[in-house]
Amino acid sequence: MKITALLDLYRKVAQFHENEALIVRLQRCKVVVWLTPQRRQIILCVGAVCAAVAGTMSRHAPWRDYRFPSTWLVPAVALPILLALIYLLYLTAARFRHLPAWVRARPQVCFHFFFWALLLWLWLNPASSLFSVAVMTLVAGSLPYLIWRCGYMLLCGQRGKAAATKFADHFFYIFPMWDGTNTPPGKGHDNLSRAAAQTPAAYSRSILAGIKLLLLVALWKGTMQVIGALVYGDPKSSLTGLLGGHSLGIPRLRSVLSGSVAPSLAVVWLSLYLELIWECLFIAAKGHVWIGILRLFGFNVFRNTYKPLLAESVVDFWSRYYYYFKELMVEFFFLPTYLRYFRDRPVLRIVAAVFAAAFFGNMYYHLLQAKHPLIEADFERLWWLLGPRLIYCFLLAAGIAVSMLRQQRQRGRAAPPRGGFYRLGRIASVWTFFAVINFWNVLAPISIPERGRLFLSLFGLR
Amino acid sequence: METEQRKTALIDFLRTIQRPDCPLQEIDGDLSLVESGLIDSLALLQIITYLEQTYGIDFREKGIDPGELRSVNAILEFIGREAAA
Repeated sequence: MKITALLDLYRKVAQFHENEALIVRLQRCKVVVWLTPQRRQIILCVGAVCAAVAGTMSRHAPWRDYRFPSTWLVPAVALPILLALIYLLYLTAARFRHLPAWVRARPQVCFHFFFWALLLWLWLNPASSLFSVAVMTLVAGSLPYLIWRCGYMLLCGQRGKAAATKFADHFFYIFPMWDGTNTPPGKGHDNLSRAAAQTPAAYSRSILAGIKLLLLVALWKGTMQVIGALVYGDPKSSLTGLLGGHSLGIPRLRSVLSGSVAPSLAVVWLSLYLELIWECLFIAAKGHVWIGILRLFGFNVFRNTYKPLLAESVVDFWSRYYYYFKELMVEFFFLPTYLRYFRDRPVLRIVAAVFAAAFFGNMYYHLLQAKHPLIEADFERLWWLLGPRLIYCFLLAAGIAVSMLRQQRQRGRAAPPRGGFYRLGRIASVWTFFAVINFWNVLAPISIPERGRLFLSLFGLR
Repeated sequence: METEQRKTALIDFLRTIQRPDCPLQEIDGDLSLVESGLIDSLALLQIITYLEQTYGIDFREKGIDPGELRSVNAILEFIGREAAA
């Protein structure tokens, strides 16, 4: 009885964001009433201007004195060019129906072609110290961050929805004040406008859901500190000192790969699983900040990470681990392939679309992310960064394709009764799959053949 | 095909692809199909194939916004728009 009462209390506390009394109280607050959708958008747009300035300056920092000795003139010219480019793309999206047929057919490809043409121009001017080259270097260096965000704006145009939108409806998510990686959390206008709270009651729900995520950030960061101290003995963890340097001494996977430690096979496997848990916590903590802020501004969008370690299939894990990256891959690579090719061959249609997203799209995304070697045409470093990832992405795509086809076969059939052990077995197999393929995802200063030998040794093969 | 017929046919189809571990007896028109657990995001592909085959909708040029397939009513609205286009 006591346990039931405790569980009820836990649910009440954990689900505080759905507490109707709290929602009613919050929706009466003057601030909540005053912050109408229009006012929130104005704040977000002002924030976007600040984010654009700060982002361009910070992206310029690594390039400072590269090719052109200037601290402020280069970003001062590059930023208006970027803003003009984004506005031009907005006009393209808003007047999508009037574009030439070849642009309408593949708007994203055209936009990416522009980026690659810019890169080519930079590669052809390697030793130049011209001001224009320095400016274009910063423009090209900013595009990997903007390219997918602008891509969502173009998608909106492609779907015929951008004509009814204003530039401000897009600007705030292209230079988001909540920052993030190259992946746009919350996606673009189509998704954000659907999730936008229109009433004080809906806004109150969104605020509480945002607060919950921000509290979870603190919890996951605390858990990472504990794991860092207790498991890894990480000197960066503030708890390591409290434990007097005592820890389980499990090495991080990158230490195993770089050969700085030589643990037993059992410890290597433990390190693999712990790396997976660590990465789930890390990505959840980061993603909850972005989505938490979005929710505080009334966009009650899905979480970026939702209990990935409870996923029972590979495809389910991929969807729960980094939702907005998966969505990016689905919308820019999976669906276009699925809708265009192999329409009369269902299995091949799915396999081709999965490989387009999880293999090609994933590789391409990370190629753009490696902007410094890419702009400097440092192909050796690019290969070092991305070579092992080719194997990671291939294994990931193969796993997702098999998982999707299996699910498709099972869909619609009555589920046979399955016990808790069956579920645990499924979860364990998903953990194992992702822990093992992560071996190819962690950066380490070793060659691919060396990594291959280490990989085989995991299974007793050498 | 009238809206009611379309709705019945769509619900019959959804029953064939619903998640085996989460069958719903009644499918409300505005119920979010994925959030309710009725279908997973993968099943959206089967909905796309269903729309292609049943209504001859060609997604190649306009693409598809997964949000337009979020509920029975949203799918019916989408079919209506495409039929009128």
